[in-house]
Amino acid sequence: NFPGGWRERDPMAGSAEFVEADNAEAIITRIETKSRKIESLLKQFKHVEALKTALEGSPPKTRDERCKSANWIVVHRAIMAIKDIDGMLNALDVEYYDILMKYLYRGLSTGDRPTCDQCLKIHEKLTERAGLGCILRCLTDTINVV
Amino acid sequence: MANPLRLYLACIRNTLEAAMCLQNFPCQEVERHNKPEVELKTSPELLLNPVLICLNEAEKCLIETSINSLRISLKVKQADELENILTKKFLRFLSMRAEAFQVLRRKPVQGYDISFLITNYHCEEMQKQKLIDFIDIEKEITELKLSVNTRGRLVATEFLKQFIYVDRLHIQHFPHQELPAILLCMRMVDNGSC
Repeated sequence: NFPGGWRERDPMAGSAEFVEADNAEAIITRIETKSRKIESLLKQFKHVEALKTALEGSPPKTRDERCKSANWIVVHRAIMAIKDIDGMLNALDVEYYDILMKYLYRGLSTGDRPTCDQCLKIHEKLTERAGLGCILRCLTDTINVV
Repeated sequence: MANPLRLYLACIRNTLEAAMCLQNFPCQEVERHNKPEVELKTSPELLLNPVLICLNEAEKCLIETSINSLRISLKVKQADELENILTKKFLRFLSMRAEAFQVLRRKPVQGYDISFLITNYHCEEMQKQKLIDFIDIEKEITELKLSVNTRGRLVATEFLKQFIYVDRLHIQHFPHQELPAILLCMRMVDNGSC
C-alpha cells in the first residue's frame, strides 16, 4: 500500500536518500490523514477501530525518525483512549498483536507515568493472550523497528 | 485498579522469560575465546533490540540481550539525598561481593543503580525460573530496605526533636548502627529542612 510512484523513479540504490525523502513525505501525509480519521473515530467512541487504523499503516522499513515519531504519536493517542482492555483485545486480530507489542515497548521506554501505567496494563493482558513468542518477536525484529 | 508496581514486576518477569534463551557462542573474531557479546557489542547481528521498561520517571529497567548473554540494569526510586546515599552504599556493598552472587555485575551500567550479567553458562548451571525469581527478589529487597530506612529516619527525627535543646550526650545510649543516621537527622533538623 505504498504509493507506486517511487519504485519506478529509482530502482538503483545510488540515490537512496533521495528516494527516502520522497517516500517520507508521502508517508507523513498519509499519517496525517490517518490521524484525522482516528480523531473522528475516537469522538464516536469506536476505540477498537481507531486502534486498528493506527496500527495498520505502520511504515515498516523506513529509517526516517520523523515518520516513526509521527506514527507513534497517532498510536499513542489511540492507546491512551482505551478503557476496556479485554474487549479491545478480543476484537483485535491476531496479526496486530506483534505490532501492538512493539508500540507498547516504545510507550514503556518514554517514562511518562500515565503512558507507562496504560502500557503496563495492556502488556500483561497481551502477554497472557499472545504468549512469550510475541515478546521475543519484538526483541529479535531489528528490521521493522517501530 | 491493579497495583502498577505489581504490573511492572510482571512485565519485567515476562520479558526476562522471553529473553533468556541463551546458547553458547564462541567469539567470532578471536579463536578459542568466548566472550559475553552484550558487553562487547562487536557484531550487530548477534544483538537483539534493547528494551526499556519504565514504571515512572524515576524507576526503570533496561534489558539488553544477545546470543550468549543478557544484561539487566535497574534504577531504583530515590526520594531525596539521604535515600540516594543509602542506595549507593547498599548497592556498592552488593556489587563488591559480586563474586558470591555470580550473576551480579561489579559496576552498574551508566545511569543505573545495579546491573546483572547472565551468560549461557549461568543458564546451564542454574534454572531459568530461579534466576528470574532471584532478580525479582533483589528488586524487592532493595525497595524494602530503602523504605525501612526512610521510616527509621522519620521516627528518629520525631523522637529527637525533644532532645534538641537538651545535652547531646544522650547519643551514647543509642545503638551504634543508627548513629550516622541519627547524626544526619539532627543536622537536618538543625538546618530546619525537616
